Amino acid sequence: MRKIIMSALAAATIAAPAMATGKVTCDVPESEWQPREALEAQLTAEGWTVRKSKVDGGCYEVYAKDEEGRKIEAYFDPATFEKLYVAQRGKVLFEKK
Amino acid sequence: MKAIVNHRIFFWTLLALPAVAAILSGKDAADQLHGTGEWSARLLILALAISPLVLVARRARWTLWLQQRRRYIGVAAFAYAALHTFYYVMDMETLPAILSEITIISIWTGWLAIIAMLLMALTSNDASMRWLRAGWKKLQRLAYPAAILTLAHWLLIHDGVTAALIHFAPLALLEAYRIAHHLNRRKTPAHA
Ligand code: HEM
Repeated sequence: MRKIIMSALAAATIAAPAMATGKVTCDVPESEWQPREALEAQLTAEGWTVRKSKVDGGCYEVYAKDEEGRKIEAYFDPATFEKLYVAQRGKVLFEKK
Repeated sequence: MKAIVNHRIFFWTLLALPAVAAILSGKDAADQLHGTGEWSARLLILALAISPLVLVARRARWTLWLQQRRRYIGVAAFAYAALHTFYYVMDMETLPAILSEITIISIWTGWLAIIAMLLMALTSNDASMRWLRAGWKKLQRLAYPAAILTLAHWLLIHDGVTAALIHFAPLALLEAYRIAHHLNRRKTPAHA
């Protein structure tokens, strides 16, 4: 028992699988992507305040304050800018069906 | 060398290093949440892991060394949680903004966790220990609900559950060992 626990402990500590972080993934050829700055500009025009954005799981992920002032995390299709997923502190506000 | 390593100030410095690095980094409040939250959780997990570690490692010297410093580790866990909350408040800016998201489960689990840790931190001194007597030990058991609330907070707020699970797995295993150990002992008292 003691040995099992000790080795499981060691394994759990060493093995840090680099899993994909996001809840959403996109599969769009990179040649079709529009620039991320264009998405930021579009969202800003719609009333969001963008804090930062990055690529996650092949989608564009945006951290922002929405038009209602909520701190949100949102995913977009990098080619069409279609909104895929929006969450506030882990609470899902929008999810594309 | 040994005298330095065993000195209180050495240990306090060690505990303060991540905070110093975070503050000096000059990152935005929103970007400080990640590091401060993780350090708080790590220290809380370490504080809780010490007793079962002493048991598993059969009172190895290093586990006893840690055990003597458990109270400092617990207080540091609270200090990092306080820093984390400070950055959260700085980032949210206004009370209405803070209140507007307090009903979200990932957020209220955080608030409950820090309230539990605050109660423990406030009573982590000799005077409270004398004053509360037997109640003191009971109060310090708030560390368990605090840890479970922290796990929930982390799982719900962070993108992906891997980091939270990796941090909590060792503690879960150690607790499983401790429970199995106690059950075994009860079954075969002669073996104890
Ligand atoms: C006072 C109430 C609390 C509030 C309002 C709060 C708020 C937050 C927020 C907003 C995040 C997300 C950070 C991000 O977006 O990167 C976060 C993450 C986190 N918090 Fe808290 N927190 C609280 C208490 C605590 C406590 C007491 C602990 C630990 C004991 C803790 C540990 C963590 C951890 C581990 C993370 C994940 C870090 C990450 O990877 O983003 N929090 N918290």
